[in-house]
Amino acid sequence: MLNSTPIRVLSFVVLGLLAGTMLIPLWSIVATAFSSKFASLQPGIILWPAPFSLEGFATLFSRLDFVRPLLNTLMLTVTGTAIHVLLAAMAGFVLAQESLPGRRLIGALILLTLTIPSQIMMVPMFVLFRQAGLLNTWFSLWLSGTVSAFSILRMKAYFEQVPAALVDSARLDGAGNYALLRHVYLPLAMPGVLTVAAFQVVYRYNMFTEPLLFITDADKLTLQIALKSIILSESATSTNDFIAPNVQMAGILLAMLPLLIFYPLMQRYLVRGMLVGAVKG
Amino acid sequence: MLKRLRRHAWLYWIIAPVILYFAAFVFFPLGQGLYYSFFKAGLGGLREFIGLGNYAKVLASPAFVRATVNTLVIAGGITVLGTLMPIVPAIALAEITPEPLRRAFQTTIYTPYLLSWVIILGIWTNTLSPIGLVNSVLLHLHLIEAPIVFFATPAWARPLLIGQTVWKDIGFHALIYYSALLSLDQDVLDAAALDGAGGWAKIRYIVLPHLRPMLAVVFVLTLQGSLHTFDSSLLMLNGRTADEILTLAVFAYQRGVLQFDLGMASAAAAVLLALCLAVAAVTRLLAPGAMRL
Repeated sequence: MLNSTPIRVLSFVVLGLLAGTMLIPLWSIVATAFSSKFASLQPGIILWPAPFSLEGFATLFSRLDFVRPLLNTLMLTVTGTAIHVLLAAMAGFVLAQESLPGRRLIGALILLTLTIPSQIMMVPMFVLFRQAGLLNTWFSLWLSGTVSAFSILRMKAYFEQVPAALVDSARLDGAGNYALLRHVYLPLAMPGVLTVAAFQVVYRYNMFTEPLLFITDADKLTLQIALKSIILSESATSTNDFIAPNVQMAGILLAMLPLLIFYPLMQRYLVRGMLVGAVKG
Repeated sequence: MLKRLRRHAWLYWIIAPVILYFAAFVFFPLGQGLYYSFFKAGLGGLREFIGLGNYAKVLASPAFVRATVNTLVIAGGITVLGTLMPIVPAIALAEITPEPLRRAFQTTIYTPYLLSWVIILGIWTNTLSPIGLVNSVLLHLHLIEAPIVFFATPAWARPLLIGQTVWKDIGFHALIYYSALLSLDQDVLDAAALDGAGGWAKIRYIVLPHLRPMLAVVFVLTLQGSLHTFDSSLLMLNGRTADEILTLAVFAYQRGVLQFDLGMASAAAAVLLALCLAVAAVTRLLAPGAMRL
């Protein structure tokens, strides 16, 4: 682009260094996770597990409760994402109908929620769920971020791309509302659906604040909260022992794995969707 | 009119659940929170109306003032660095030619954006621990004599919080800038080269001005996001660093959820909301169009 050799060289240096700050700690995590407890406690850089050991993973599974939080999170991620995408698609579809009376009013109401950060809702939501007896239930998590203005606007932008002529001709062919949705709108809005879904999966999988506030039952713990206890060496899980670095890193590695598998599959949508959201939304 | 409404009835039915959700789980709790902020309120419910008593108590509390200062300093640092630093990798991404290599760099630097704060902090507490990578290298090079206990040193608390946030988001922001660079007209750059402009001159006079609208967008996004910093602050703070990095959102959480002083917590949340709205209004005035989300 700039036709300048020094800048090109510098570009490689900059990106190499930046990527290094991500890859080197990551590799160190892998190496530590596969080290024995004793080796992981030695000062120095662990770049290769010596001796190779699965002790960390064994401790993680046998002494600390890690499987149930992981399963809870996977369940919540799937159900929460499905609900979110469905609601956002429905609202986005409605707002894309230009002839709808009151469309501007509804749109303004939804836009208004964008100005209220979720962190400000923490205490009010806690109070509400407490009154409703929803603390320590899955509903408290399903009802957090169930749908967002951001996703609705994103879906609306995709539905608006559906050409009116196509809709008209389908109507002439006798397509009802349902057939129109099923055969015209949804296929054309599919990239939008996948984009919203991809971001929801990441958001739900990483959910931290809401379970921290609303869930205290041990059998309803979610992954990030369980991981927090392990990393901060809290005794909140099931043992008071000191948690060695190899166990902590094994936990981080396992918690990262689903996302690292998911990321390349959905990269197209995560990247492009982000750009659509950032540029015009 | 009535006929039009009836013809569209099914559309209203479809959007009704969403409107109900926002009414019941955004507007209602928010209104109730504001209402609570005028009462002495605990777990048992409202006890007595005390007008602006909670606000007076909150504003007079040294912990709240500290949290406000922390929030502003941290948000300022995150916003300035988070807006400016990603320009460098963005230009670098545009300069690197073998497409697979460019893509590999792009994928790598975007990854931390997807990871939770628990994992980000796990990565860096391990890397920066007294026996970890950074301390080992520094000791080996004889740059320090004793390991630095990064996460328990007050002076390191804010730089670490700001640094980790900027690091987490740098790939995301770089990608926004990079996508803007793709629309840069190569002819303009070539014409500048004919006029004798070198690489740096092109960056200074063509690339950076081209990025300006996007800088405004990222600036606003980052500022809005960093004002209610919660996860990172809560996870990082300990007895030694709390005074440096405890934010307003964490303050409200501790008062409301941990100490059950709902009146005071609601007042603190209301002040934070007012702060966010004020910032939104100011940025809207200063950079109209930047907030068009």
